[in-house]
Amino acid sequence: MSDERRWLDRPLESGAAAGFGVYLHVPFCHHRCGYCDFATEAVGGLGDDDRDALMRRYVAALRTDLAAQAATRAWPRVTSVFVGGGTPTLLPPDLLAEVVGAVGVELDLTPDVEVTVECNPETAEPATFAALAAAGADRVSLGAQSFDAGVLATLERRHRPERTAAAVAAARDAGVGRVSLDLIYGTPGEDRAAWLGSLAAVVGLGVDHVSAYALGVHANTPLGRAVAAGTVPAPDDDVQRERYDEAREVLSAAGFVQYEVANFARGDAERSRHNVLYWRHGDYLGVGVGAHAHRDGRRWWTTRSTDRYLAAHAPGASAPRDRDGRIPDLTGEEVLGDDARALERLLLGLRLREGLHPVDVPPLDAAAVEGAVAAGLVTAACGRLQATEAGWFLLDDAVGRLRGTGAVVAGGAD
Amino acid sequence: MTYAQGRIRNFCIVAHVDHGKSTLADRMLQVTGLVDPRKMRDQYLDRMDIERERGITIKAQTVRMPYRPLGDEGEEYLLNLIDTPGHVDFSYEVSRAIASCEGAVLLIDAAQGLEAQTLANLYLALDADLEIIPVLNKIDLPAARPDEVAAEIGAVLGVEPSEIIRISAKDGTNVDRVLDAIVDRVPPPQGDPDGATRARVFDSMYDPYRGALVYFRVVDGRLRAGDRVRMLATGFEGDVDTLAVQAPEEVAIDELGVGEVGLLSAAIKSVEDAKVGDTITVSGRGAASVPPLGGYREPLPMVFSGLFPLDSDDFPMLRDALDKLRLNDASFVFEPESSAALGFGFRCGFLGLLHLEIVTERIDREFGIPLVTTAPSVRYRVTLEGPPGPDGAPQVVEVANPQELPEANRVRSIAEPTVEARILTPTTSLGPIMQLCEGRRGVMLAMDYLTPERVELRYRMPLAATITDFFDQLKSLSRGYASMDYDLSDYVEAELVRVDLLLNGEPVDAFSAIVHRDDAYGFGRAMVERLKELIPRQLFDIPVQAAIGAKVIARETIKAKRKDVLAKCYGGDITRKRKLLEKQKEGKRRMKAVGSVEIPPEAFVSALRVARDG
Repeated sequence: MSDERRWLDRPLESGAAAGFGVYLHVPFCHHRCGYCDFATEAVGGLGDDDRDALMRRYVAALRTDLAAQAATRAWPRVTSVFVGGGTPTLLPPDLLAEVVGAVGVELDLTPDVEVTVECNPETAEPATFAALAAAGADRVSLGAQSFDAGVLATLERRHRPERTAAAVAAARDAGVGRVSLDLIYGTPGEDRAAWLGSLAAVVGLGVDHVSAYALGVHANTPLGRAVAAGTVPAPDDDVQRERYDEAREVLSAAGFVQYEVANFARGDAERSRHNVLYWRHGDYLGVGVGAHAHRDGRRWWTTRSTDRYLAAHAPGASAPRDRDGRIPDLTGEEVLGDDARALERLLLGLRLREGLHPVDVPPLDAAAVEGAVAAGLVTAACGRLQATEAGWFLLDDAVGRLRGTGAVVAGGAD
Repeated sequence: MTYAQGRIRNFCIVAHVDHGKSTLADRMLQVTGLVDPRKMRDQYLDRMDIERERGITIKAQTVRMPYRPLGDEGEEYLLNLIDTPGHVDFSYEVSRAIASCEGAVLLIDAAQGLEAQTLANLYLALDADLEIIPVLNKIDLPAARPDEVAAEIGAVLGVEPSEIIRISAKDGTNVDRVLDAIVDRVPPPQGDPDGATRARVFDSMYDPYRGALVYFRVVDGRLRAGDRVRMLATGFEGDVDTLAVQAPEEVAIDELGVGEVGLLSAAIKSVEDAKVGDTITVSGRGAASVPPLGGYREPLPMVFSGLFPLDSDDFPMLRDALDKLRLNDASFVFEPESSAALGFGFRCGFLGLLHLEIVTERIDREFGIPLVTTAPSVRYRVTLEGPPGPDGAPQVVEVANPQELPEANRVRSIAEPTVEARILTPTTSLGPIMQLCEGRRGVMLAMDYLTPERVELRYRMPLAATITDFFDQLKSLSRGYASMDYDLSDYVEAELVRVDLLLNGEPVDAFSAIVHRDDAYGFGRAMVERLKELIPRQLFDIPVQAAIGAKVIARETIKAKRKDVLAKCYGGDITRKRKLLEKQKEGKRRMKAVGSVEIPPEAFVSALRVARDG
């Protein structure tokens, strides 16, 4: 008790004070991309009627689920909403608007709430954006991934490079104020010229936010299997590092601030408030298949199976719900111990340029901190812990060092 | 019931691994009616799991079988089968078992033919003047070539091929003929029933409740339950509290006379007090003047290796495990060793490579302690420069750990143990096998054609060459048909050097090896390349060097890592990422540090495998 208990009881600059977000998941995709291991449901093979019916059932289930969970207690006012997928924009405009507006029906929103919807360029029609804007979305995150046709083909993305520019223009025309582009680098076959080309295209489009992620290979995906079988080369860490450095250079020259390892914004107001909430260890509700939630030192998540989700929400199924409004059969949960919370604080907080405020830094072994500082991975001035420029892309190592080889949390947790 | 001396037959089975020795023994148990077929399990006599899985016998086992040949109306005969260990590492134990018999069944697989190891044990049996009963097994196999193999055995033994009994131990064909031949041809034991008691220990094993169980054959006199016995070599004295025979389960007995085989316990703390080859006598007047039976020798470890717990917390457990194993195996030795890279462990000496593997496997399996095992080494004799010793001869030190090799400027010469290897191979693989032997610094001593298709090669080669992948190579070059056995031979001087491996300029003691100067470059290159692959990239460039003294002979660089952060946390899923890092922490806890370089223990395991397999 003592030290770490005080740490947990302190009022926090981040944590609950960081705001309260709601994530809604829409799993549908035309097809599943080779690298993706998120909860998705390919519907490209369905006929129009079947697909429409499936989506309507899902949105109805999502709304029921949200309403049930929202009704169980007094939730804080919502500071951000994020509708992700999958491909939310695969929904017909009316359904999409229903999803976007659902949170405001069930919960109180702050006046300046940020409402982001993920869009894929090939599905982003003017009507879609009009519906989004009308429903209250003020931000879209476009999955551009690359502006190189070859790279897009390797990633199994269906849109042509120029389609992204059209989508950006359509979003603006519809009055969606903030546009973010997602990029992936280090795809096998992507050379330096292709990457610089993508960066130049992003800069040229004048968006206010860019996310740039290194391609990750997950074992349970077609890409993962191809890499394991040796038919596709594994992404090279050194190459990914070069791409990362190039992105930082090009984007900062264009006026972007790198506020997180993989995220760049024109200014503080353009940062993704919803994602910053995650990194500040804030609370959020997550509804829909594969969605995660965090509150009161617990994390819980919903099944990744759309079939099971729909079955439990079928008319007349009336699956029993627990006192938090969740369907126990569909829900996984963990209660975070002190060790887990401390680790999360570090691994999330150090992703941000701002790092960890002194009150948020968990108890750490002094020698371990000194070691990480000496290795040039972090700075620890006046109790604030921040990754260095060098340490940012070596964060797993930095977090490992900070936790040392001995006990991370001093004293006896119960 | 006691048996007249003339009715006793003691025999062993000389056979290669897999040639069906245990199956034949099992079938004998059934034919003599000793084991109910319904209670039969395969390989009745192989007790330990490892032995059963590997199909080899490490410990000698005995079984006492009353038998009356069909149509024989006389008294029953007593057949004692003394089952021998089946590997060159245990050839001393084999020789003691053979010395306790008057006859040997030479069992040959009718498909495989003679193997080098069988030949080696056959020579031991012939040297001990045993009556040899050649038997061809597995005649039921489609691949059997009984006529050819019979001709081969006939040529070696000088017997008519037609006299060789053809059996199938698997289905029981002609097993009774083998038993009849034992009765007819193996001489009964000689020995003085009224003389001072002398019994030869041919094996011992540890029993947690009774202490060491000693397996012996009475040579002269008699042993009774309750006798106070004395071991002539170790000086141990104790009262016999178990006297028993195996039939095949243990059966207590009051007395054993000349030629009989049995086991005893006498509150013997460890097998170290009852060593193979020792002589048991009955204490009392004149016991000290009883001449020991010939042939005793101390077990001599030949192969040395450092055993370190993968997780340093397991060190006390490892010590307990070694203590326990040693209770049952006096032939391996150990002493504490510390390594800068691997921490605390034990330097262990073994009879051979198989012995090493069996011990490490048992530590892993029976005690659940994951190990890092350093590359096996032999014991070198190093002649030092400088003033001679008190006897006027140059000083010589023995070195079984590459770390202990004195500085090069203090070394006048190094000698290494050699072996005389006997290799049996089909002529079709002769060329590649000769190349292999010569590549391992072998010198040919002889080449004999046993038959037009099979050659016996004899080479003198360094013992060190046989504890690498030599045997595997031999098998692969001959598609499995060549076999090898060896006898230890003299120490021979050689151009030997120690190759050190350095990480970031720091030597990693566990990787040092003594190799021939001609092999140093190849070894060094293979090791630096492998280490480059195995050691994860760290925050700075790490030079990996192989060196002889101050001279670097191979170098690679592990480049600093430049990316070490996992992708985004999808949809707020922090749990998955956190769990990955929790695993990383677990891995980090187990890292071994050499200077500022962290090495996962698994890298040691893999790199040392390279060191062994060359």
